[in-house]
Amino acid sequence: MQITLRVNGEERTLDVTPYTRLLDLIREDLGLTGVKEGCGKGECGACTVIMNGELTASCLVPAPQADGAEILTIEGLAADGKLDPIQESFIEAGAVQCGFCIPGMVLAGKRLLDENPNPNEEDVRYGLSGNICRCTGYAKIIDAVMMAADKLKVEGSVNNGE
Amino acid sequence: MANNKYDVKDYYCKHTTRCTVEGEKKSKRFVGRNVLKADAEDKVTGEAVYPNDITFEDTLYLKVKRAVHPHAFLKDIDISEAKKVKGVVDIITAEDIPEVRKFGLIIRDQPVLVGIGEKMRYMGDALAVVVAENKEAAIKARDLIKVKVEKLEIITNPFRAMEDDAPDIHPDGNILITHNLDRGDVEAAFAESDIIVEKKYQTQFIDQLPMQNEAGTAFYDEKKGIVNIWAATQWLHDTQADIAQSLRLAKGQVRIIQPTIGGAFGKKEDVSVHIHLAIAAIRTGRPVKFTYTREESMITQSKRHPITIYNKTGVSKDGYLKAWETKFIGDTGAYASSGPAVVHKGMYHATGPYDVANIRGISHAVYTNNTYCGAMRGFGTTQGAFAYESQMDILAEKLEMDPAQFRLQNVYHIGSSTPNGQQLNHSVNAEETIKRVMELSGWKGGQKE
Amino acid sequence: MKKSPMKLESSQTISGVDFENYFQPGSLKEALEIKAEYGRDITIAAGTTDLFVAYYERLHTIKNWLDLSKIDELKYIKFSEKNVKIGAMTTHLALKESEELKGKFPVLQAAAADVGSPQIRSRGTIGGNIATSSPSGDLLTPLLSYQARFKLETAGKSRWAAAEEFFTGPKQNIMGPKEILTEIEVPLPKNDSSGYWIKIGRRKALVISTLNFSLVLEFNKEKISRAGLAMGSAAPTPVRLKKIEEMLVGKSLDELDHRKLGEEVKKQIAPIDDVRGTKEYREDVAFETMINALEDIESRRG
Repeated sequence: MQITLRVNGEERTLDVTPYTRLLDLIREDLGLTGVKEGCGKGECGACTVIMNGELTASCLVPAPQADGAEILTIEGLAADGKLDPIQESFIEAGAVQCGFCIPGMVLAGKRLLDENPNPNEEDVRYGLSGNICRCTGYAKIIDAVMMAADKLKVEGSVNNGE
Repeated sequence: MANNKYDVKDYYCKHTTRCTVEGEKKSKRFVGRNVLKADAEDKVTGEAVYPNDITFEDTLYLKVKRAVHPHAFLKDIDISEAKKVKGVVDIITAEDIPEVRKFGLIIRDQPVLVGIGEKMRYMGDALAVVVAENKEAAIKARDLIKVKVEKLEIITNPFRAMEDDAPDIHPDGNILITHNLDRGDVEAAFAESDIIVEKKYQTQFIDQLPMQNEAGTAFYDEKKGIVNIWAATQWLHDTQADIAQSLRLAKGQVRIIQPTIGGAFGKKEDVSVHIHLAIAAIRTGRPVKFTYTREESMITQSKRHPITIYNKTGVSKDGYLKAWETKFIGDTGAYASSGPAVVHKGMYHATGPYDVANIRGISHAVYTNNTYCGAMRGFGTTQGAFAYESQMDILAEKLEMDPAQFRLQNVYHIGSSTPNGQQLNHSVNAEETIKRVMELSGWKGGQKE
Repeated sequence: MKKSPMKLESSQTISGVDFENYFQPGSLKEALEIKAEYGRDITIAAGTTDLFVAYYERLHTIKNWLDLSKIDELKYIKFSEKNVKIGAMTTHLALKESEELKGKFPVLQAAAADVGSPQIRSRGTIGGNIATSSPSGDLLTPLLSYQARFKLETAGKSRWAAAEEFFTGPKQNIMGPKEILTEIEVPLPKNDSSGYWIKIGRRKALVISTLNFSLVLEFNKEKISRAGLAMGSAAPTPVRLKKIEEMLVGKSLDELDHRKLGEEVKKQIAPIDDVRGTKEYREDVAFETMINALEDIESRRG
């Protein structure tokens, strides 16, 4: 069977089976391996993508349910070659260690800030609660999201001033 | 590449860290500066290449049929149905690779594939490798492999393993190794002690659980006779040597390329996908890829040792450690891995940062049918810390002393020597650390409220 | 952007023969007809947050699929004078975010906010949670407390089942082979009410409840006019503790003996030992939780 979806702004039509996981479709058929598989059971958040605006564990999505969906992966965040403020913040806060959880963490952080530009630490913890980091880098990951919120505020105020 | 000359500083700058501010690049000083990680940008954009991210044209996929019982002789393995699955290219069993030798980090006791008449010793032992055009076919074929076994007693407890009538998991018996430690006159020191506390402590299995499961890709360059393996390992050259001896290749014929690693924490010290990948690559002549599932990673690869620790400690009534006797029994599981070194190190750190003149210890790593245990952050000392810190608290209570004060008067200082006789000549910060903790935590002497 | 040469687009061959049918109807009517034809031989896919875990590496063994994800008529939260009706395909996220639910069903909303993680809440559905019928299902205890009922439909027919009659065992329920759960109806509290929800687990997120607890009390002046008490992971099914509800009704909060009620809760549940906790642990926690719940409600109503 065939499905059509938009991934990082690009429309793609692909052959799938009901048991093709969205994760495999993105990683293998589309070669977007920034999306990771950590557990395959929705427990770790490494496979997080933003599907139709919501955080989604792509390992738990049958490909046909993604028919017609709009999907953003980590690769789509800096598609124009310019890093998103949240990506910059992760680098600057030293939040990146082994990096395997980072694509999911960055997307969870982005989704959170899209909805809530002024999060407190508790909000960030809740927003990122579906993502596990085993290098135990949580403190700096939370710092990074808070830093990104500050950056976005500054950017926003500059834009408003223009 | 081979002719490329680069100096170490350049390498350091490019590959390990990147200077944050323009102009600082010339600086040789990094300490005290905020330095950004060189690979962070690749990691936040999804660009970094981890072992499972590598794909070549025409890649084949591997799945491994694993043991069906934790302790059993393999009597028969039937791959006939599995071979019929569309897309299956090769199914490798032990009889296909008679020349392949066992592997292991310290002791080479792990079979690459368990053959008929041989034993599976834990649920992670590999019985057959399925190579197929796609993962789906490999999974289906793996699930169609039929196995007959003769079951043996399953030993999950190291104390059972040490009993005389327990079946031997390995030919040389179940006690893999024994280490001894003896310093001073322990008997006399116990006789002089005012209080003696004797306790037993038990720790549990812990999976290191790096975010990325074991994974790799391999390709055999037939012209050069070199097998290229892209897979994570913490001991690049040891892994290379182990694979080479196992496959009876020269070391130069095994090239390991280390992609970005998604965490390891000790778990990736052991060989995992490497040898199966190499064999499949050589036999098929095509690129092959193998990724463990999380479950497979948990069942198959190393754990932190559960250690049973006996501590007997004598103190004077003014709160000075006089004598310490310890025993470490580590459940090393089905194979040795780093086990001999872990129980060794654990025992030598049995008193942690506390100075004891008279100490005696014995430690064993014992084979069982559990998943094998190896390295994990701390390498035996973590288990010991749970035991000695608990012991110190119990002693302090018996002495009716402030546990912090009791610790302070027993810690190492410059000039102290550790149980194995190492002289500590610099960077001995135990006292300072404890005082700082007392200060930061607002320590009030540990009185019960 | 730059892309490593090692990252290729690589479609693996698709056999496409291992499943027979994948139905993705756009209307409930079609779905019911398909379900009527296949009965138990078809697997319903809703948010697939349980299905894909249960069938990890075995998804190809599912022959017939009935995917309800495109049936928009099953995604709603509608209020009437007496109750709220929730479409079975409403996600945990939608429940959590619903402005209308806020204030009226705080316990249900708090439970929805505690399910799994953001990634799970955006996909998992209330209907899926109910139909999966796990003893630990987080929405199930509030639904029992609020005395919800479930609409079970077949092609041409429908019936209502009270939440407390629905669950029959671990992952078992009264649903017939041709039935689809389509709607959840929860009566609005008649009087002013207070509730308490807690999920006990090893972590705050991504955890299956070791125990979950929901208590809803309706008050008529100072007296409790109705009580809804339910617990999950405390028995083979989520359970409503009617006997304790009876002990609460007609009393005012200061007349209650918290410890005695806690002891009674311990007696009324039948937990088991499993990887998440022992029977004894669960009983002790149930005891403490009952006390905490009453204290909390009392302090809030102060």
